[in-house]
Amino acid sequence: MNQPEEWSNEFEQELTRAMRGVDPPEGFADRVMVRAHAAGPVRAKVLWMPRRVRMWAGGAIAAALLAGVFFGEEAHLRHQREEAAQQQFELAMRITGRTLEHVQQQLSDAGVRFGN
Amino acid sequence: MAIADDEFRRLIETHQRMVFSIAMRVTGDPSTAEEVAQDVFLELHRGVERLANADHIRFWLRRVAVHRSTDALRRRAHRPEAAAEEWEEDHSLEDDAPISSISLQARLDELLRALPEPMRVVVVLRYQEEMLPDEIARMLGKSVASVKSHLHHGLKLLRRKAAITMKEYVREPA
Repeated sequence: MNQPEEWSNEFEQELTRAMRGVDPPEGFADRVMVRAHAAGPVRAKVLWMPRRVRMWAGGAIAAALLAGVFFGEEAHLRHQREEAAQQQFELAMRITGRTLEHVQQQLSDAGVRFGN
Repeated sequence: MAIADDEFRRLIETHQRMVFSIAMRVTGDPSTAEEVAQDVFLELHRGVERLANADHIRFWLRRVAVHRSTDALRRRAHRPEAAAEEWEEDHSLEDDAPISSISLQARLDELLRALPEPMRVVVVLRYQEEMLPDEIARMLGKSVASVKSHLHHGLKLLRRKAAITMKEYVREPA
């Protein structure tokens, strides 16, 4: 009498033997090839466009890049000019402040009194 | 870069039996299996350049074949002809019945259809593709314990179902 464990192993062996691969119906590869051709390569489909459109698209991309570079450079220069003007203004204010202090000191030494 | 026609055809011819067999045994329907197998190869055609070598292609085809087959099964809302629990009941005496490989093979598709989908997939990968439980777990993104559990219960149900139907099968010709 077979034990359950042996039965299980035996059944597994039978199952492995019974579960052989199944061939697809005749002409399967041909049908896949037909569908593959009909679908076309996805990447090529996305990238493909008429020559005229391609030229315009190329031109538009180049123009966009140039405009980006130009406006970027322009913004950078404007920022630099603003910074330089700010520094000059601060320097002028410092000089003016010192000059006023100097004049005030001289007037004070000369005995000129302001206010009360 | 797209794959050349003759190279793609060679891949189909090499792997069509495996892909179709998985689709056939999981969906249980020849026309659905053909549709699934075609879709799998078309998906390969679209992305073959991402696959590094022959082993990778084989692994990828198996995995996609399983997933597309279970998708198709769910779309059809196919239910196994019996719930797993049904076969757990009242059939313990049938376990001792001898089962020949010839009769098993003749009734295999019918028996597999009786299994719930997760068990069916695991049984197909284990006994048709001869994959180890840890390989199956890796492919399906499940734990090894879960795969072993599905295998254990799937095998038990198949054996019970086989024991019952084989008796009927033997009696039928008389």
